[in-house]
Amino acid sequence: MSSKVYSLQEAVAKFVEDGDQLAMGGFTTNRKPYAVVSEILRQGKTDFIGQPGPGGGDWDMLIGEGRVKAYINCYTANSGVTNVSRRFRDAIEKGKMLFEDYSQDVAMLMLHASSLGFPFFPVRLMIGTDLVNKWGISREVRETIDKLPNEKFVYMDNPFNPGEKLVAVPTPKIDLAIIHAQKASPDGTVSIEGNEFHDVDIAIAAKKVIVSCEELVSNEVIRRDPNVLSIPSMCVDAVVHAPYGAHPSQCYNYYDYDNPFLKVYDQASKTDEDFDAFVKEWVYETGSHEAYLDKLGATRLINLKVVPGLGYAQCKA
Amino acid sequence: MSDYTNYTKQEMQAVTIGRQIKDGQVVIVGTGLPLIGAALAKSVYAPGCNLIVESGLMDCAPIEVPRSVGDCRFMAHCGSQWTNTRFVGFEANEWLHDSNRLIAFIGGAQIDPYGNVNSTCIGDYHNPKTRFTGSGGANGIATFSNTIIMMQHQKRRFIEKIDYLTSPGWMDGPGGRERAGLPGNRGPQMVVTDLGVMKFDEETKRMYLAGYYPFSSVEEIVESTGFEIDVTKAVELEAPTPEVIKLIREVIDPGQAFIKVPKPNKEAIQITA
Repeated sequence: MSSKVYSLQEAVAKFVEDGDQLAMGGFTTNRKPYAVVSEILRQGKTDFIGQPGPGGGDWDMLIGEGRVKAYINCYTANSGVTNVSRRFRDAIEKGKMLFEDYSQDVAMLMLHASSLGFPFFPVRLMIGTDLVNKWGISREVRETIDKLPNEKFVYMDNPFNPGEKLVAVPTPKIDLAIIHAQKASPDGTVSIEGNEFHDVDIAIAAKKVIVSCEELVSNEVIRRDPNVLSIPSMCVDAVVHAPYGAHPSQCYNYYDYDNPFLKVYDQASKTDEDFDAFVKEWVYETGSHEAYLDKLGATRLINLKVVPGLGYAQCKA
Repeated sequence: MSDYTNYTKQEMQAVTIGRQIKDGQVVIVGTGLPLIGAALAKSVYAPGCNLIVESGLMDCAPIEVPRSVGDCRFMAHCGSQWTNTRFVGFEANEWLHDSNRLIAFIGGAQIDPYGNVNSTCIGDYHNPKTRFTGSGGANGIATFSNTIIMMQHQKRRFIEKIDYLTSPGWMDGPGGRERAGLPGNRGPQMVVTDLGVMKFDEETKRMYLAGYYPFSSVEEIVESTGFEIDVTKAVELEAPTPEVIKLIREVIDPGQAFIKVPKPNKEAIQITA
């Protein structure tokens, strides 16, 4: 069986393409694929159509560096530290990025519908609100972007309950999914611990899937307990061994969020100048994930280690 | 010795929230004050309630205060780790089954007299003065569940017409939800702010003042509300007991993730006998 193991640089060079409709796993400050995002920034890949789900600093950095052509938002925050991601906010307030809004439930159902191969998906959500009355991206602009459907949504009558108004939403065609997991094996089998969030959905829906992992374990070892497996090998194109690859977000059973680091990002993302300095220091000048970890330092990373049996580190106030 | 009589506005709000929750209810919590209130309910007022969060973590029993609804602190010791889509399905099925267990907390930047909430932007949607996160789970929650809305009580936030309707309240009054195509038997029950508690009139569906705190007044609330509000039913709410304040500070949020303990003689509400 051939190995799907790539270096971070090789995986991004081979599987990330400009203009990809991109979905990433995790939830705001949990299991966000920061190592892969940093490498995407270094390699200059751009023009993504963002299907973020509940986004955090991962998407905020791509937005801040101008790599997102259109952003399908439902919620973007480093919750608990930055209540509205600041580069996201700046890009919208200054009219620098095309954006659309769905409710989080609808955004997640759209990704789920994609994973099920549905042609579209009817919901009882967003009805009566500006989520349907206002379109972030107009039909005219949508018609110029191949990867976006021409309609944000379409009202439909429930065929099984005539007279009931439903909202039909499109199913996005995901080009690339990026997921950070606790364990993966060379054949592409993936084990996610803690909540899987929408990660399995995007792994099925996407044409290309990159999985970075805390531990690269053998094909035999990872299958010892199929109860803990999340994604089968056929759904994965590249496996990248990137320990602490979700830093500064959390990774259940491995490490907690790095709150002081998230606070540094909170401050840095307030202005163009400070954000530029931040990504220069932490993304471009480090040059690699290994150098990023060296810069963070062993003590800092050890202090994030979870308490066995708890899944997170204990509060240091 | 620590002082537990110097409760803060935040603690008063958290206690007010906690008192609303009943045994047998399924409570959709977020982080921040609603979580503190819900944790308080689970330990004092309604030990038989169940906590769920919009990320899909069900029947949560966090030991340490989570900062996000996707926090590992919600995962540890929870009853099931679902995806968000199953959470939405559960919420919708509660409505389809005509169950009356769900009660949810949502927040917002602006609110109108009918409890419609904006958590998307201030100003024009395409050229906003201030942009917020967007809906998150709030729209779905406000569609299928009864809600308690958490707000800061300011004139610029309590306004006749909100800039963007993210989460539906009673829409434009009686029958408004049905006309829009929303479940009519769900909707906002209460607004809890740093100044008091508002409810909605059964007939008109308009917000009225139901209660104020020992440290706030009807006048202050009227002054901080950007629309006309009926105050004839307002009563003074009970201050939290020192036992409950001690529980918040020592057990529920000892790390002060959301509730800051006042420094001696600072920030504390002065209680006059």
